[in-house]
Amino acid sequence: MSDMVLFQLTALALLAIGLFGMLSRRSLVGMLICVELMLNGAGLSIVSASQFSGTGEALGQAAALLVMGLAAAEATLVLVIILVVAKRFGNAESSAVSILKG
Amino acid sequence: MTNQLVVQISFAIYALLIVGGGLWAVLDKSLIRALVGLILTLFGVAGMYLLMAAPLIALMQLLIYVGAVVVLIFFAIMLTRAPAGGEECDKPDVRQLILALLGALAPAAALGFAIHKYAKAAREVASEIAPAVLGKVFLEPYVLAFELISVVLFVAMAGAVLLGFERRRAK
Repeated sequence: MSDMVLFQLTALALLAIGLFGMLSRRSLVGMLICVELMLNGAGLSIVSASQFSGTGEALGQAAALLVMGLAAAEATLVLVIILVVAKRFGNAESSAVSILKG
Repeated sequence: MTNQLVVQISFAIYALLIVGGGLWAVLDKSLIRALVGLILTLFGVAGMYLLMAAPLIALMQLLIYVGAVVVLIFFAIMLTRAPAGGEECDKPDVRQLILALLGALAPAAALGFAIHKYAKAAREVASEIAPAVLGKVFLEPYVLAFELISVVLFVAMAGAVLLGFERRRAK
């Protein structure tokens, strides 16, 4: 196995762990943590692919930085959404916001 | 060659940090301890960036994730007043856990097969690039993406402030 495959498998493990947590966690904060895990896996995969394939290392690293910026923006918004949900529904669990008003 | 051995050992340590921290973050009942697991994972990923000869990304990983995102999540835990034992104290639903495991393993298996079959590295040693090259990428061909990410960040922050104020006014 080449080095790149090892790095990609680690990123894949992060994706699988994050997906599992996303599906099994009940609190919104726990789900946010799982999203961060998956985004880390994505960054790791992008950087390892560009570092070991010889197609523009700078491009891959720039993409990883963009992923980090998006993750920071997403974390900010999700924090406020969790705060609003906690304020309106009394707790920050995904089951609290599962009923639509219609 | 001892150099190779050091790299292999540190890769194993970082992989252990990533997988162990990830499992801890996903399985622990207390959200604070789950956050500690996430921090372990973030450090492991930063170490992997170092191994891949991308020290700037490793530094940014520590600055942005451990410095900012983790603090944000900590605030989220603190401000939602999670009960001391965590919100996931009630008995886990075994059926839901099994379904979650299946849902996580299905895409992982497909992607793992693709990696096993198609991922071929063109070279074995990653080369380090100077930060100046990265800066040129951001300021010359990809300046639009660079500016857009700052707009996205600004909109996210402004939206956060707006939502926060609305919450207070509604009270």
